[in-house]
Order: sequence, then structure tokens, then C-alpha cells
Amino acid sequence: MTRRVLLGLVDQAVEGLTATGASTGASTGASTGASGSPGEGDARSAVTRRALLAALARTTGSALAAAYGASLLAACGTQGPDAARPLLRAAQRRNEEVERWLLRHTRMGAPLDRATDAPAGAAFPSYHVAPAVPVWDAAADGPWALEVGGLVARPLRLSLDALQRLPRVAQRVNHYCVEGWLATATWHGVRVRDLARLAGARLTGPGATARYVDFRSFDVERPTAVQPDAKRAPGADAGAAGGAPHAPAGGAVPTGASARLADLRAGRDYHESWDIESALHPQTIVAYGRDGHLLTAAGGAPARLHSPIKLGYKNTKYLTRVLFTAERTGGFWSDQGYEWYGGT
Amino acid sequence: MSSPPVDAPEPRRARRHHPVVRLTHWIAAAALVVMAGSGLQIFNAYPRFRARGAPPFPLWPWEGTPAPKWATVGGWLAGGRHWHFAMMWVLVATGLVYLAWIYLHGEWRDLVPRRGDARDAWQMVRFYLGARPDHPVQGKHNALQKLTYFALPLVGALCVASGVAIWKPVTLGWLTALFGGYVWARWWHFAAMLLLAAMAAVHVVMVFAVDPYALRAMTTGGHDPALSPEARNARPFHHLLPRWRDWRTRADLAPAGEAAAPRAARTPGATP
Repeated sequence: MTRRVLLGLVDQAVEGLTATGASTGASTGASTGASGSPGEGDARSAVTRRALLAALARTTGSALAAAYGASLLAACGTQGPDAARPLLRAAQRRNEEVERWLLRHTRMGAPLDRATDAPAGAAFPSYHVAPAVPVWDAAADGPWALEVGGLVARPLRLSLDALQRLPRVAQRVNHYCVEGWLATATWHGVRVRDLARLAGARLTGPGATARYVDFRSFDVERPTAVQPDAKRAPGADAGAAGGAPHAPAGGAVPTGASARLADLRAGRDYHESWDIESALHPQTIVAYGRDGHLLTAAGGAPARLHSPIKLGYKNTKYLTRVLFTAERTGGFWSDQGYEWYGGT
Repeated sequence: MSSPPVDAPEPRRARRHHPVVRLTHWIAAAALVVMAGSGLQIFNAYPRFRARGAPPFPLWPWEGTPAPKWATVGGWLAGGRHWHFAMMWVLVATGLVYLAWIYLHGEWRDLVPRRGDARDAWQMVRFYLGARPDHPVQGKHNALQKLTYFALPLVGALCVASGVAIWKPVTLGWLTALFGGYVWARWWHFAAMLLLAAMAAVHVVMVFAVDPYALRAMTTGGHDPALSPEARNARPFHHLLPRWRDWRTRADLAPAGEAAAPRAARTPGATP
């Protein structure tokens, strides 16, 4: 049907071009070609039509191929068309559902990689967002303490000593960075799950319940250290040996640029919020030691979050507060475009 | 215009490639380009395989060399990840639709290797190299094509499995362990991508070198058997070479019968 209509249109075009006045009622399909024998009356029309159709087919094919190739080329080296953003965000939400389902439905001992479970030792990279390695200034800010608060029955303030007196975990696990590297270490610390129990985190019951946990830090990005229009990988500007060679794109900040500028002026505290299931996973710990020693300043002293079930950037270093919240509170890298979930 | 012979062996025009095959082909082509580009963007954040503190990785001599910027998609690491993790569903869905279609329509029979295909593939290699004058007889695809198109879903499955192993090295730790750990899963993923890219590159080169008409067949479905490589006795770049190369192409190797004569005259280099 469509084909008949199209052929009619083509015929009219041919007629208009050649003005032969030949009958256009011929039912001979142009593409049946030599097998059909065209009538004398519209032989000329059929031939012209066939030629035109062939030319059209050739040119449209090439044009389509060129457009296709050009669109693919245009995608290279950029973040892609703006129209794709909602689709990418939708895909990220779907992926998060898949990831959370996987986390709930798989048995995890987080087995160590057989081939690569050599301790990273001194080769463990140390990333921070402050211009220099953050060090807790006890003279200015008083002694360091870890606050556990938010939707809890008993807010806690734990000194490093108090933290070390809590039930201790030592686990040798992998650390997966978003950049693609892997580093193995033994971590010493306290399960977040134990802290939640100790503080009486409101996990069930009527009213607001803790569905997320925000891990905040005294690692603060200062305005002098940032380039507002540059995108970086977590740790791209860190002073670590063998740091990420990821080159930032020159692209503009995609969304919320003004809000971000306000953040930049104030300086942003590093933090990342987690889903409650991942935070309460038995391998998610507030670590104060690595490989048998207390954390170094570069390693996130006095305490940091660590878990093999989240990508590195979700594991807040230089920890100050553990806040149980009802709402999702984003994070330093999540707000800039990295996946909020960031699970492994 | 002479009347066509009554016993014409085949219609001059035929249809080739079901719309489902054509559609999945081009969607997969676009998705593969995006997947490779965004994958290289991710790779460039850490363009090496060795774990931190581990000895050098044995099977990758270019540790630390990033992919060129023009080959990347996504602009930055997070952008590359978003494209990669969105397009993977498109690619997997397209692949599954294609596999389901060729299974339900029996077209898998055209692709599954059979006894003698290795020998036929060797004959195709000889033909392409000019050691054999005539194009070997083939079905829908020649033996080399068959092996390639059969291997394609397998390499694709390797890509998907190793990719999932990198994506979920803890929740799906058993899969990662199957590949020998996270570092090796990354390597497998990269190697499978390189293999796919190589196959795609050869595929594209051969389309233009041997049978540019295949572009039409894969886009609109239009197919002219007289223009197929077998009928044209086409070697790579044959149609681009000057005519003195055609000393091997003799009239007795052209398709027999008067029906072929007018077509053969249009074929570059065929001696009437």
C-alpha cells in the first residue's frame, strides 16, 4: 500500500520534471524490472521512474551512511548530546536497582582475588581533595572525635581511644577504585553495624527511619585548589605517586553551575552518603589502622570508612561524622556526576 | 530491449536480510562504537592492568599508555561510565533479539560451522590471495564469513561476562574468580574488545573491498544476485584495480547463460 502511494508520488515527480504527459496509472512495479514487460504507453515513464528511483536509492543510502558516521564521530571525545542526559540518568537509576538487588540476593564473602591479593603496602595510593594532606588540627579544633548522630537514640562522640576499645575487626580485602585499579590491604577498625547498634540507629518503626548514612570528613576542597570548569576523576589531583593520569575534559559543568560556584567559594567538605544495606554490611568498617599500623595522615588518619563493597570514592577518609538519615544526601563525587551508588 | 529468457535461473532482484536482522545490525554497530569509545575512556583513567603493589602484568606490553583522545566517548571518567553502563543494556538486548530471531527463523543454520568449512575457508583465503582463479561455491555466506559471524556472538558473550565480572567483582565474585580475578577480568574484557574491534574492522574493509552492494542489502534489503561477489568473482579491491589484473578472469568462469552476459559486460574487467 505504502509502496503504491510512494510510487505514485515518484511518478508525479517524474511527470513534473519531464512533462511527458504519459499515463501514470501503470501498475508495473519499478523494482520488478526486466521480468515484467511494460506496456508501450508507459515504457518511457517506467524507465525514467526506475532511473530516478535508483538514483534516489543511491544518494539516500550514501547520505544516511554519512549522517550515521558523522553522528558517531561527533560523539567521540565529548560527553555526548544533551538529549542523552535524561536517558543516561534513567539508565543509572535502573542500574542502581539492579545493583541493590544483587547486593541483597547474593552471598558475599568478598573473596580475595587469587592472582592479585599481594598487599599493596606503600603502593596504596592516597587521595584527598584538599590542596595538602589534611591533618586534624587539635590546637584549633580540639581533640578529634567521631560523631555518630542523626536518626539515633543515643548520639555518640567517640575519641580515637574509645573507638579502639570497641569490638575490633581485622579484614584483608580488596579496594576497588573507580579508575580501575585494585589494591589489597588488611584493615583494622569497627563495624559501622556495631556503631549503629551502639547509638541505637532507628532502622525500623514508625516515623522517620534511617535509610541512608552520610559519612562526612574534614577533608575540605579549598577554592584555590579547584578549576570550576574542569572535570576530574576522584584523586586526579592527588599528590599520590602513580596518581591517576585521567585527563580532564574541557567540557562545561553540566548542571547546577551556580550552586556549585557557591560551594566552591565556601569550600566543600568531602562526604558521601550510602544506602543503609551497604553501610550495615559486615565488611563496612570505620578503620583506624591498615596493615598492622595506625593510619598515616596520607592514609586518612585518624579514621576513615572502608569497605570492599563500594568503589573507593564512596569510602570517606578523614572521617568526622556518621549521620543516619532518612533522605539521600549525595556526596562529593556523586554530586559532580559519578554514580551515587558506586557498588562493586 | 530484448525480452528476458524464459528459463532465467533467478530473479534479477531479490530481498536479503530480514528487517529484524538489518535493524539489529545497525543498532549493534552504533552501540559497539559507543561501548568501545566509552570503554577506552574508562580505561584511560588507569591505562594499565597491574594491581597496586603487584609485579608487572605479563600480558600487556603497553602498560601506562592511554588510548588516544579521539577514540574515547563520554568526555571524562564519569561520562564514560554512564555511557558504558547505559549502552550495555542496548547492546545486550539487541544481541538477544538477534540471537532469538536467527534461532526461531532457522537462520542459525547458515552460520553454524560444518564439516568441511575449514577447508572451504582455506579455499577462500587462496582465492583472496589470487592463488585460485574462481570464487569458491558458497551458500548465503562464504566459509570465512560463516566462521566470523559464528564467532561474533561468542566473543560478544565473553565481552559481556568479563564486563559484568569487572562491574560487580564483589557481589558476583564467583564470576570474577572464574576469569582469574579482577585484574585478569579487566584484561579479558579488553582483549575481547580488541578481538571484536579487529573483526569489525576486517568486516568493514571487506564490505568496501569485496562487496559494497552488501551495504544496500544490509540497509534496504535490496539484493541483486548478479552483483554478489560470487557472480562477480570479486577479490578484495578487485573493482578498484586496473583491468590488467583481470588476466585470470576468463569468460568461461563467468556465470553461464545469456542472462549473465549483459550483467557481465557491466562488471569491470569481465571480458565478453
